[in-house]
Amino acid sequence: MITRWLVRAVLRSVDGRLRVAPLLRRGLAKVFPDHWAFMLGEIALYSFVTLVLTGVYLTLFFEASTVETTYTGSYAPLDGARTSAAYASTVRLSFDVRAGLLMRQTHHWAALLFVAAIVLHLLRIFFTGAFRRPRGINWVIGVTMLALALFNGFTGYSIPDDLLSGIGLRILYSVAQSIPVVGEWLVFLAFGGEFPSDDAVPRMFVTHVLLVPAALAVLIAAHLGILVRQKHSQFPGPGRTENNVVGSRFWPAYTIRTLALFAWVFAVLFGLGGLAQINPIWIYGPYDPAQATSPAQPDWYIIWGDGALRLFPGVDFDIAGHLVPAPFWPGIVLGGLTFAGLYLWPLLERLAGADRRAHELLDRPREHPVRVGVGVAVLTFFAVLLVAGSDDVIAKLLKVPVLDVLSVLRVVALAAPVPAGLCGYLAARALRANGGRGIGELTRRDLRAAPQQRTGPGERDASAAPAGPLDGADGRVELWRDPDGTWRWRYRSGEVTLTANLAYLSREEAERSATTAYRRAPVVAVEPPVPAVATAARRTARRAAPVGGWLALLAIGTWRRRRR
Amino acid sequence: MTGRLDLAPAATPEEDERREAARRERAASRWIGLAFGASACGAAGFAAVYATGGQTQLEGLSLAVAFAGLAAGLGLWSRRLLPSGGYVEEHEPFDSPPVEVRLTTEALAGPESPLRRRGLLGLLTLALGALAGAALFPLRSLLPFDRARPAHALRVTPWAAGVRLVRADGSPVRPDDVPAETFVPVFPEGHPDRGDTPAFAVRLDPARFTTPPPGGHVDGIVVYSLLCTHAGCPVALYLRGTARVLCPCHQSNFDLLAAARAIAGPASRPLPGLPIAVDPAGFLVATGDFTSPPGPGFWSHE
Amino acid sequence: MRVGQRRRYLRASVIPMILCLVAAPGPVLPVAAAPVPTPGATTTGPATTGAATTPGATTAGAATARPVGPDAGRGERLYLSSCASCHGPAGQGSQRGPSLVGAGPAAVDFYVGTGRMPLVLEADQAPRRAPVFSPDDIRALVRHVESFGGGGPPIPEVASGDLRDGRELFQANCAACHSATGAGAVLTNGWVAPSLDRATPVQVAEAIRVGPGLMPAFPETVLNRAQVDAVAGYVQELRGPRLDRGGASLGRLGPVTEGLVAWLVGLVLLVLAARWLGSRADR
Repeated sequence: MITRWLVRAVLRSVDGRLRVAPLLRRGLAKVFPDHWAFMLGEIALYSFVTLVLTGVYLTLFFEASTVETTYTGSYAPLDGARTSAAYASTVRLSFDVRAGLLMRQTHHWAALLFVAAIVLHLLRIFFTGAFRRPRGINWVIGVTMLALALFNGFTGYSIPDDLLSGIGLRILYSVAQSIPVVGEWLVFLAFGGEFPSDDAVPRMFVTHVLLVPAALAVLIAAHLGILVRQKHSQFPGPGRTENNVVGSRFWPAYTIRTLALFAWVFAVLFGLGGLAQINPIWIYGPYDPAQATSPAQPDWYIIWGDGALRLFPGVDFDIAGHLVPAPFWPGIVLGGLTFAGLYLWPLLERLAGADRRAHELLDRPREHPVRVGVGVAVLTFFAVLLVAGSDDVIAKLLKVPVLDVLSVLRVVALAAPVPAGLCGYLAARALRANGGRGIGELTRRDLRAAPQQRTGPGERDASAAPAGPLDGADGRVELWRDPDGTWRWRYRSGEVTLTANLAYLSREEAERSATTAYRRAPVVAVEPPVPAVATAARRTARRAAPVGGWLALLAIGTWRRRRR
Repeated sequence: MTGRLDLAPAATPEEDERREAARRERAASRWIGLAFGASACGAAGFAAVYATGGQTQLEGLSLAVAFAGLAAGLGLWSRRLLPSGGYVEEHEPFDSPPVEVRLTTEALAGPESPLRRRGLLGLLTLALGALAGAALFPLRSLLPFDRARPAHALRVTPWAAGVRLVRADGSPVRPDDVPAETFVPVFPEGHPDRGDTPAFAVRLDPARFTTPPPGGHVDGIVVYSLLCTHAGCPVALYLRGTARVLCPCHQSNFDLLAAARAIAGPASRPLPGLPIAVDPAGFLVATGDFTSPPGPGFWSHE
Repeated sequence: MRVGQRRRYLRASVIPMILCLVAAPGPVLPVAAAPVPTPGATTTGPATTGAATTPGATTAGAATARPVGPDAGRGERLYLSSCASCHGPAGQGSQRGPSLVGAGPAAVDFYVGTGRMPLVLEADQAPRRAPVFSPDDIRALVRHVESFGGGGPPIPEVASGDLRDGRELFQANCAACHSATGAGAVLTNGWVAPSLDRATPVQVAEAIRVGPGLMPAFPETVLNRAQVDAVAGYVQELRGPRLDRGGASLGRLGPVTEGLVAWLVGLVLLVLAARWLGSRADR
């Protein structure tokens, strides 16, 4: 009772100024599909939040300058050493700022997991066809954010000015320098001169803490805004059509769920940040262009590029007396092709004959064997590059000659993707032909039998979206008036009962919503059903008394300020 | 559930079910409370660790416990106490009715719309394009005008005739300071920290040279650029026995007996040599710049 | 698995040789020099100064004076039973092992003290093992080999050095191969720069002076005594867990293991949580 009164008081006060109630009511009722694969993007989002929070803390102590200074502090092997201010402040941050090392390591782990979650999210979108119309725009935004995340990860790894990252920056400089015609000018403008320049660290710092995070924040806002506007896509299932979303409402179920994930992301990141050492720059030492450490790798999301540099043979091209050095191909061309391919995939699929219709129901991966085949092939290729970038560590652990590892990987990188993609294609085709079975249950006979049962693209579309059940024709919509005068509806078909997410103010409104969601289901007026769900929820509210207490405190605080 | 319905008397199952649900809810609340309690303990632990001097592992662990408790409590709350699923929201198609499209088009491109003045629009585009072009000019300041232009800066290093070879600490090098089978990084006197100048000196048996070193040798002492010609990492891994240097980044191998030819890995060009001699004071000096631009390749390399 | 195969292969090739030598006195095993002789050295013959001899060998003379002293017999006995089959009864070297004339006490102490000699198996590079001989035996062996003449670097005495200088010198001279973290790294052809996690200060100093295997040597003209002390001191600091202030060191292998942990621990934990939260609770 008190909770209710308090909430109403707060809401009235806000609504009286902004008229938020109708909007808020719709927002709170937004339906999220109940599938774990839809939460991968949230992992990335919460990693980003961690990055911002820990990153802000780090900027308070980091000094983005290569001016030579003397480190004095509790790290004895460097005490009194002359190093760059960037390096000295990072060591100080790790050793002499209490909780500084925890924040630094958590920041770094969050960066690794941010990109990993983005990649996983991207794979989910790719294999389920969620990039199709009308979501092409969010695909493009997402790929852009991936590119920005890679870039920002690299600058973040580089600004401490330690030996390992300096070597990585040196490689990046060399790769950018390899671009024909403009390469030299490009790197000189970016770095303010020849490597290593004093301008590099401050410039990278500005992009790392301001430009790219701001761009990411804007893009995240756009990504989510578009998501809310377009609503979620969903996997096919009972009661699910191209014209509705089935799942849990944002408030209360999904809010608590996503807050739980939020807290868990923090828990994992701080756990890793405290217990697993990452990038111990005090051991690597300050950068010096004449010094090296080995093994030398960038963070995992760049290792594939390093792997490509290792695998690509030393072939220089001579064009009219000008040099196109070998790193151009694995460094610039491969990276460019990768992102061009990502950006253009929706278009390519459409050019290859896919339809242009809007899709709210997702594909199961198997329903599109060619997509699975291409995806598996590309993933295999990049996995080999990832391994190639670690070849010296692998050679060390397996005690085999590193150049043998390299030779093997050169062959594998060229030979493995196509067969792997073919396997993916065949498996997906066989799975599609065999309906509901999982990949573990496939037999050789299934693989051989699949081509006979193949359905052409046109047929498949017809069979995948049969008009009847997916438009709700096999069930019915029940419409009723609640005692408080609002109208509600629910869809019933066999075992499935799906309640409309909103209460409507008029019968017409409720009917319009119902017939939009289920075009072919007959609408019948019924008596209000027993509100089983509502009782449980009310009981829950009583259990959540502490939250009510907090809200009360908040409200009292607001009240007092208003009175003043 | 149906089994229980069959066994129990007609009135009890509903009540039974409600009692069972209430019991489960109580149990869930207890667990959730426990999780939030653990979270509070974790947070207090973090504060205590911090206040008593801080220790990274304990800090991380206590914060992890604090957030994990929160996650567990909220997760259980969402799964045990809140209804999940069972809702449907309509999803209207995105194509607006044609009349909407027509009216919006009208509003944007009506008779008085500026978009219809194509001639003026062309000139406006020109002005904006010029402005955008002009706005690019200040970007040139990213490379200060007093600094060397790229092609020149990349080709030329401070190594020149008469420049002494010095070690990292600045001390000049005599031939005797480079005994056989050691590895001495060297720098041009007065330019210790530049990126393109590091070189190294090793003493080899001249009888073993399969190709004469490009910069010549002084009693077997040869000097090469330390920068890999692939991506610029220092090739500071010297294999004494085989007279090879390796690159730590991409595993290129250079054979110092064969004029520092690249013999394995992704590098293609040999390491540039540094021509050396001994000056009257008995120190090693360069007699010119590297035999080719040091480090990775670029468009105007040769 | 590949390692195992390779070991088996090596064993197969070595067993006949071992069988031939069983009749010989003592646990004599076929031994190849840890370093592969340089091309130059192989062409000029095994008896000349090979790759394993030291830069100090420039003063090598053919001194063959017999040692005098209480341990003389012991050192000789050990040498003849464990070393002579490859290095020759008077240390002159043979097809299988380089000459020890001019090797110097530091080299003998290093190779035997780190268990790299005597070799158990013919390998590209002798791995570090527990030493076969007791410290007394090693001292006796060192004295015996010294008696072959030729000078060579003595066993260095290591004083405590400056930690900061040690760190700087380590990064400038050692980190390229042994890794700035001391974890070691692969070179080429299966050779490795070993991890330094078990190297004692004296062994570090010996390795610096001797340049075992493919490692370059750093004589007095390159690194003076105080500098060697500093490096040896920093390696001890590097060995300890004190530098792993951030938690589990993950082998100090850098971004590769960090990336693995991010995926296999971090992301797996997060995805499992998402699976738990994202599935419908069946109530």
